[in-house]
Amino acid sequence: MNSTVVTYLSQSKELSAAIAWLSKTLGFDANSLVSFLVFAVVCLIVVGVMATIGGLGTYAERKISADLQMRMGPNRVGPYGILQFLADGVKMILKEDIIPSGADKFTFILAPIMCMVGVFATLAVVPFSSGFMLANLNVGIFYLVGMASLVGVGVFLGGYASNSKWSMLGGMRGASQIISYEIPSTLSIISIVILAGGLSMGTLIGGQGGLPHQWYILHNPFAFIGFFIFFIASLAETNRAPFDLPEAESELVSGYHTEYSGMRFGLFALAEYIEVFVVCGVAVALFLGGYNVPFDLGTGAIFTEKLGLDSMLSQNIGQLLELGSFFTKTLALYYVVIWVRWTLPRLRVDQLMTLCWKYLTPIALFNLLGCAVWMYAFDGKSIYSLIFETAATVGGSH
Amino acid sequence: MINLGTYLGISFALFICGIFVMIARKNIIAILLGIELILNAAALNFAAYSKFVNGNLDGHIMSLFIIVIAAAEAAVGLGIVIRFFQLRESIHIDDAASLQN
Amino acid sequence: MFTNTLFLLSAAITLGGAFAVVYTQNLMHACIFLLASLFGVAGLYACIGADFLAAAQLVVYAGGVIILMLFAIMLTGGASNSINRYGLVKIAAMGNTKTFFAAGFTAIVTSLVLLKIIANVLKNQPNKVLAANEATVEKLGTLLATDHILAFEISSVLLLGALIGAAVISRPRKEKHD
Repeated sequence: MNSTVVTYLSQSKELSAAIAWLSKTLGFDANSLVSFLVFAVVCLIVVGVMATIGGLGTYAERKISADLQMRMGPNRVGPYGILQFLADGVKMILKEDIIPSGADKFTFILAPIMCMVGVFATLAVVPFSSGFMLANLNVGIFYLVGMASLVGVGVFLGGYASNSKWSMLGGMRGASQIISYEIPSTLSIISIVILAGGLSMGTLIGGQGGLPHQWYILHNPFAFIGFFIFFIASLAETNRAPFDLPEAESELVSGYHTEYSGMRFGLFALAEYIEVFVVCGVAVALFLGGYNVPFDLGTGAIFTEKLGLDSMLSQNIGQLLELGSFFTKTLALYYVVIWVRWTLPRLRVDQLMTLCWKYLTPIALFNLLGCAVWMYAFDGKSIYSLIFETAATVGGSH
Repeated sequence: MINLGTYLGISFALFICGIFVMIARKNIIAILLGIELILNAAALNFAAYSKFVNGNLDGHIMSLFIIVIAAAEAAVGLGIVIRFFQLRESIHIDDAASLQN
Repeated sequence: MFTNTLFLLSAAITLGGAFAVVYTQNLMHACIFLLASLFGVAGLYACIGADFLAAAQLVVYAGGVIILMLFAIMLTGGASNSINRYGLVKIAAMGNTKTFFAAGFTAIVTSLVLLKIIANVLKNQPNKVLAANEATVEKLGTLLATDHILAFEISSVLLLGALIGAAVISRPRKEKHD
């Protein structure tokens, strides 16, 4: 079975003792029951943290945009306005739930749920840290790409079900944008898969190290370009500016979520913010070293050696360091995403499509070819190890 | 509990549903939905045999190619449907009954 | 226990989706139920250890073919079940009792033939111990690049042809009325 939270926690002696005691009391082997319970609890924690991050994302967006535009942003509700997202959430829940009379009711209710399901299903493989991944699937990144396409279906259904011209146009544009930009995004992911040699998140992150020269972004020039291709394509996939034509306020009223009010709109918005976090997390995992901590601190072995701590405790400290590393890098990328939104003007829909098909896709194909040729020609070594080896041989031959 | 028989039964049910949809509907796109069900039933069948009888991965390869070809066929089929709609303003299959025009 | 639960859930979703595709009268709903059915099939692939196949099913079908179908429905007049477009009498687009009877008869005949074949197979199958599930990604990659390389290359040419062909067939043309 794949390594997961359960395999990490089963290393602890307390959990094994608890399982043995439970098996004795209940009479049958409580292993699968306890692992199911652990999974349920961890899933609830992840969903709760992610929903909070989604909500705080709206707050962060308002504060950062205010900073870029030289104004204050929300500062009334709670210290520095940090509870603003809770106030917005309460407001949205209390709003009247309007379903247009000509709308297809089943599809209208299903569309935001499909967006949410698509985004939350990708959380199962996001690598928070080596022990805290919900499931280290053998096909992790492939599964993530598949589930992220569900969001496109949700956008399209939302546009169709509202029975309104603004929504239909916004929905079709949104869905065609999402499926078009899946191609450069997936091609960039495949270039990194070639470098790493596997589809699972553990392999992809295990091939990188903690320090920047060990990350895949600096592995070869093709991967470097690939990072920017992936970043731009992901901005377009999540309907973030400058690609937010489907929800352009000034052009399409509100695009595919015009007719949605209250918590249904809240589900669309929350799905978008969490998807931005997931996409930043994937970019960090693929290109920026994932949860690796510099100087190998993440494994916790150094704490057992130097400080003489208990093995499980030092492993937990290592996991906390890895979590910190992952979240720092992901939130830094999140800041860049918000920064880009409030800096660049919006693209027209034909400019958007031209950018994808005429520029990003050929460059991504060229990157794929380049990475494959690099792996063959230089035996998979990064550009830094090549330089160091050449320097060592030149220096050693003197 | 899970054996070849269960998988054959599920694939059989999918196949019969696909045949039903293909014959009962008159909308060309609905017929294409039935074709997708049939292709999925066949792919599931191949994968089940590969797991329960063969033990190697030949069935998986076949299922992969079925998925690829089904996608290509859906694309071309829907292209034809769209062209048909541009010419005839209708996607009822009885309008496609004559070879003229 | 996990495998059994996953199997039951996936089988229920698959068969429920397939029956709903048969039963519904709205074309858009039929597409959504087909999506559910394809999800169920992906779950069934996961139950027998075909992890790459399950992920490929999700990516290609749920993310590609369904959106293609939805776009085609939108571009060809939507999900309206109109019988008379120009006053001509036609059978309803989603079928009426006559077509359902014809389909039922065909389904019964086909199922009798298939059940005979399946019964033969189930009688003669060897009862052997199954190997444990293992990762298939690397092995499939090796097989595709060594044993099945010809089919791989031909399918890539086929996909290229399908891509260009579908785009050429359905592009809007300047109508020359003669």
